[in-house]
Amino acid sequence: MPKPEEYSERKTQLAGWPVNIVTFRLGAVYHTTIDNTDPGAWVVKAQGASKQASESKALQEAELLLEKVKKSKPPTGCTSVPGF
Amino acid sequence: MAVQTSSPAATQHGVLVGTDWVAQHLNDAAIRIVEVDVDTTAYGKGHVPNAVGWAWDTQLCDTVRRDIIPKGAFEKLLGSSGIGNNTTIILYGDNNNWFAAWAFWQLKVYGHQDVRLMNGGRKKWIAEGRELSTDTPKITRTSYQAKEADTTIRAFLPEVMKASSERAAQLVDVRSPQEYSGEILAPPGLPETCQRGGHIPGAANIPWGKACNDDGTFKSAEELRALYGSAGITGEQPVIAYCRIGERSSHTWFVLKHLLGYQHVKNYDGSWTEWGNLVAAPVEKP
Repeated sequence: MPKPEEYSERKTQLAGWPVNIVTFRLGAVYHTTIDNTDPGAWVVKAQGASKQASESKALQEAELLLEKVKKSKPPTGCTSVPGF
Repeated sequence: MAVQTSSPAATQHGVLVGTDWVAQHLNDAAIRIVEVDVDTTAYGKGHVPNAVGWAWDTQLCDTVRRDIIPKGAFEKLLGSSGIGNNTTIILYGDNNNWFAAWAFWQLKVYGHQDVRLMNGGRKKWIAEGRELSTDTPKITRTSYQAKEADTTIRAFLPEVMKASSERAAQLVDVRSPQEYSGEILAPPGLPETCQRGGHIPGAANIPWGKACNDDGTFKSAEELRALYGSAGITGEQPVIAYCRIGERSSHTWFVLKHLLGYQHVKNYDGSWTEWGNLVAAPVEKP
């Protein structure tokens, strides 16, 4: 039964968002997951024959996705409806 | 059954097991290991040997209306997973056991007695270089009898409205500060599924991930008590946790209810995708 090897984890910023990059090798294939740190949901996953190939593919895809995140204007106050 | 863990709270309540313990019980007939991931393809790429996989988006919910899994489907799922009423279920998953906690909560809704989380989840198992299998385990089907749904651990909209307007319970918004403030409508990279940003009036913001260490394990009872206590969540009043769709908040529900032993804790699984889409619902933006 295969065991994951060369596990690595690092944090960086992509398109202004903090992300967590996890890579490990299973057999001959490197697996990379990029999550959005908070909440930590995976954004993209990629595989490659080397760590570099796997991570660069994942980083490219994640950056494209995260560039599309919309931010609203800074909050200006409470919009509560009394009596709801 | 002995529980291996470094967390005093977990030892007290017997709801956490360590990766070492799981590795020693892979072939224990009294135990069924179940993987539940955010990424529903992860199980197929390699899982803890002998574990079965449940998909949160098709198997742990009602696929017609928005609801948790119906009782009959729940019984079928457990039966087809070889789980009997006396089976010890060990749940684990990716992302610090996020959806494993969602499964834990539903198992408790339907009254399963012995269910535990593998502390650190899939991430810790992989980081420790433990074996991964792509084989589907051979299962002997069982006939599972679920209890009626326990609504003392599930909050619905009217109760949450009352909690907000009358402060009848403490609300804990476990989303990120940017979701809480309304700066973003969904976590980066995930689809936006609500019409308005912000939070339920009166809710405190304690992001769920603050309950975890970097390796995915839960923080100690002392650290957790201090974390929630600093926002006035001490267990003396009823608590309702919510997030976006109810899974992150089931993780916080697990911490408050089962690690800290707070008695009256509910998960509002309607969460922000219900509240943030309601016409005329009060929304607070700090």
